[in-house]
Amino acid sequence: MDLGRQIASRLNEATFERIAGLAIANAELNRPRIGRSILDLAATLPGGDDRALVVAAGPSLHRRRSLERLRATGFTGSVVAVDGALGACLRAGVVPDLVVSVDPHGERIVRWFGDPALTAPPDDDYFRRQEMDPAHRRDEVAANRELVELVDQHGPRLRLALATSAAPAVVDRCEKAGMALYWWNPMYDDYDAPDSVSRRLHAANGLPCLNGGGNVGTAAWVIAHAVLGKRRVGIVGMDLSYAPGTPYAGTQYYPELRALLGERYAEAFIHIDNPHVGETWFCDPAYYWFRDVFLEMAREADCRTFNCTEGGILFGPGVTVTPLEHFLKGNDG
Amino acid sequence: MKQFLRGNYPLDVVIEEPAEAAVAGATEAFERKALSRLGGSICFVSKKGFLWKGDGTDGSRAADRQPA
Repeated sequence: MDLGRQIASRLNEATFERIAGLAIANAELNRPRIGRSILDLAATLPGGDDRALVVAAGPSLHRRRSLERLRATGFTGSVVAVDGALGACLRAGVVPDLVVSVDPHGERIVRWFGDPALTAPPDDDYFRRQEMDPAHRRDEVAANRELVELVDQHGPRLRLALATSAAPAVVDRCEKAGMALYWWNPMYDDYDAPDSVSRRLHAANGLPCLNGGGNVGTAAWVIAHAVLGKRRVGIVGMDLSYAPGTPYAGTQYYPELRALLGERYAEAFIHIDNPHVGETWFCDPAYYWFRDVFLEMAREADCRTFNCTEGGILFGPGVTVTPLEHFLKGNDG
Repeated sequence: MKQFLRGNYPLDVVIEEPAEAAVAGATEAFERKALSRLGGSICFVSKKGFLWKGDGTDGSRAADRQPA
């Protein structure tokens, strides 16, 4: 097994190590502010269409102009966007029915909602370095300022499915923008195990625990079918990988891989041919783990999953790859 | 370390060799810490379904929550 896949096989435990301490501390800080449960969400969304489209923030979202094409079709299903795609949605004139946020990071995630406190480029180059949202690469401060205005403008129309792990700064920002918050716990471990963290958290705040699959995009897909009850779930922008030609230095885990592996860092990247688009995409171990987990979950899900990303590495049993318009117009079979 | 360090004078203290298990444990802990920087933003729990609403035996405190 190559180095990248070796590392990927250990990321389930590693994720618990990475986030559990901070996420549970955030849950405790957020506890007095917890109101509505995510289980109250389905009743607030328009019914009559059993479809949802999950909008993730991968590079294909821009390469394929997925949001402009979505807007042009008059799609009547629910649009569920991850936090990192909210800015792109609002700039494209797409107001999601639901936004999902989970990452406990104390400073970064609030930026997806526009950080009113940001007046100069921060030392952290997380947003400048990557192509998750190209607007942030061009001019980070101007992009943030525009996003603050857009989120303030649309906030009262937005619902947010917010994990208790979210940083208090995110809660502050979204409350002040007027969003309706619906809370849930991430599932951290086997709730039947002795001393289960998930069970303790549920006992403390009464919220359901959601199996998130490693990343916010997968969590949004889980919400679409397991919470909203959608039976046909499309996804866009879920590449779980980097487009051909992306420099390694422009990838999400580049600094961590350099620190861990030194000059051998490039061996950790995994290259995968996508026969649906005739391109070779590549991913780091984390994204490869996300892909494995998603395919495992898709086989168990009580919905049909249509990947309309038109790029990336997410294909296999349980996932139907189809052009976006086929799904949006209901021609998916 | 004894095979590498040899002095020409007696020591007043007894130096205990670290057990192999302790060394292995420290290495594993270092690896775990290093790997944790590469993980995701939310866990995955295999074969436990998508949504757990509790089983009614855990003292769920939903009724105590204040509305937003």
